[in-house]
Amino acid sequence: MAEEKYLVALKEAILNLDYGAVVKAAKEAMGAGVDPLRAVTDGMAPGMSIIGEKFETGEYYLAELVVAGDVMREGMKVINPYIKEEGSKTRKKMVIATVEGDMHDIGKSIVATLLIARGFEVVDLGVDVPAARIIDVVNEHKPAILGLSALLTVTMPKMGEVIAALRAAGLRKKVKVIIGGPSVSAKFAEGIGADHSSTNAVEGVEKCKDWVKEGG
Amino acid sequence: MTRRERIMAASRKGRVDRLPFLHCWRHSQIGWAERECRNRGMGISWARPCYIMKMHNVDSTEEQVVSTGEVVVRRTYSTPMGSVYLDEKREPGVGQWHAQRSWKDVMPWQKKRLIQEPEDYEVVKYMVDNTEYIPDYFPIEQAKEWLGEDGVVMSWIPKTPMALLMIEWIGSEEGRFYIHHARYRDKVEGLYEAMSKSLEPLYEIAARSPADIIWIPENLEGYLVNPRLFEKYFMPEYEKCARVLHKHGKLLAVHMDGRLGVLKDLIAKSPIDIIEALHPPPVGDLPISEALSIWKDKVIWVGYPGAVYTLGPEAVKKHALDLLRSVVPGDRLVIEMSTENLVSNENLLMLTSILENVELPLTEEKIDRIERSLS
Ligand code: B12
Repeated sequence: MAEEKYLVALKEAILNLDYGAVVKAAKEAMGAGVDPLRAVTDGMAPGMSIIGEKFETGEYYLAELVVAGDVMREGMKVINPYIKEEGSKTRKKMVIATVEGDMHDIGKSIVATLLIARGFEVVDLGVDVPAARIIDVVNEHKPAILGLSALLTVTMPKMGEVIAALRAAGLRKKVKVIIGGPSVSAKFAEGIGADHSSTNAVEGVEKCKDWVKEGG
Repeated sequence: MTRRERIMAASRKGRVDRLPFLHCWRHSQIGWAERECRNRGMGISWARPCYIMKMHNVDSTEEQVVSTGEVVVRRTYSTPMGSVYLDEKREPGVGQWHAQRSWKDVMPWQKKRLIQEPEDYEVVKYMVDNTEYIPDYFPIEQAKEWLGEDGVVMSWIPKTPMALLMIEWIGSEEGRFYIHHARYRDKVEGLYEAMSKSLEPLYEIAARSPADIIWIPENLEGYLVNPRLFEKYFMPEYEKCARVLHKHGKLLAVHMDGRLGVLKDLIAKSPIDIIEALHPPPVGDLPISEALSIWKDKVIWVGYPGAVYTLGPEAVKKHALDLLRSVVPGDRLVIEMSTENLVSNENLLMLTSILENVELPLTEEKIDRIERSLS
């Protein structure tokens, strides 16, 4: 297939962590009329997926995972204008944030990157995010899943505040909530009304995949 | 032996009568429980700077501004090459509490980092090139006089260059450090080299300071710093620093309280003398017994994990006894009551009631005896 060579070039660019190559490959693919959604899901995403697997097995470090994600973002900048609205709606959306008062983001960002590698569209709000902002974004983006991260014992209760705010805004039933961080537990999740807790990114990402599969 | 003698003897891998244990000055409560624990053998460690720093031709101003809807303190540095700024968010209590922490023990955190754009490197490099370190031993002499035999005073020096870039100047949020390191490698490395050079005189100043231990608040961690980065940017700096310190008979202590499993072999090869604040699982990923066996020429100051304190005194008792059983005969060890969270009086008393009775060399029978004395 003619499209194949463009898809391979995109994948290779991700695997080689090559900013220049990804832009070139993306421009060539778009120029040749490759379906933009395929360029993402069958070109760059499989590259990300391999990087994600290597990270999970310990062959790659956080540095490679982060840079691969950034190279993919660079490719997305070229491809995005070609993606029509309907296309982007078919991808599963996740909103993720580290809660207010907490600036630890390494774990949260790993989860976000692994989800992107699994074909999710991820809205990453960063760190120290107040509940009100999270609610606004959930309202706006209507994600299937909301992910919350907290590492400090003093900020863990903020995850409960976000869930209470979702409830107050009438959004709780519309979005699954997964919480993460080294000190979360099933008991804590139940106490604050989250759907799932995870101390491990790989397990958490599997759960998210299951959820969207169930949801169709 | 006095508390100071114990800590120093253990830190120099010598003979010690009892397992040294201490509270870090800036994490310690003050009051009856702390006084009681100190009377029962707990020492104090106190890190103070051995220098003052002057930046020539650099103006710095601070103002309160509202940035993306939040009140922050903006510090701007102006140089002939241009200016850079950082935004800091401060929780209630910051500045009213020792060591600039909030009432909940959180330091001000940066919402915007000193280095944001590629152009900023040149400005920051100018600041580094024009930084002068001047010896100032008064803070150490004063603390030594105050503490006497109650504990040790360490000379505090800044993080090594790449740690400073990663954690503070570029920042690690959203993978920013890695992205800069991938996109602007020359700029990152150019600045790194300038910083490394600028620190050279400081190592000499620290080595000549009246403290026996020189301490770096490195926050080394194996997730952020992978073995490749460690070998290339961290190891050479530790080697350079330790060379100077060792010439003057001083010890190098580096603060590392995260997960260190992936770095353990490299740390073994480094010239660091004291692994300060090593946290056993569940916070860290390296049991103390394993760390002692792979780091044969190093001394470990164990950071007692905050995660255990949250479970209360009974959990502290169990965890501490298990820890002791795992480190028999107890050489090359110092226990720090905490390096992060504030410790409640009841947890501090519980840990003290165990550690005050740890005679060295430690044996299983001695630990059984301590356990019986508690029930
Ligand atoms: C790196 C680090 C920092 C860096 C953060 C850099 C960054 N960009 O994130 C810096 C130096 C800035 C920092 C600052 C502070 N830190 Co800190 N930090 C750490 C450290 C060493 C590692 C954390 C980490 O990133 N681990 C690696 C990641 C991958 O693991 P993780 O976060 O657990 O994530 C995994 C899972 O939990 C899960 N996960 C996480 N989030 C999510 C979300 C979802 C949705 C899912 C599904 C899964 C998931 O997946 C991840 C991968 O498997 C830990 C010690 C430790 N060993 O944990 C202390 C630690 C977390 N910090 C601590 C403290 C106290 C602080 C400070 C308050 C210090 C101070 N006094 O000011 C400040 C906090 C400031 C603030 N307002 O937040 C304490 C917290 C104690 C407590 N229980 O409250 C710890 C435990 C250190 C200690 N020795 O006690 N810290």
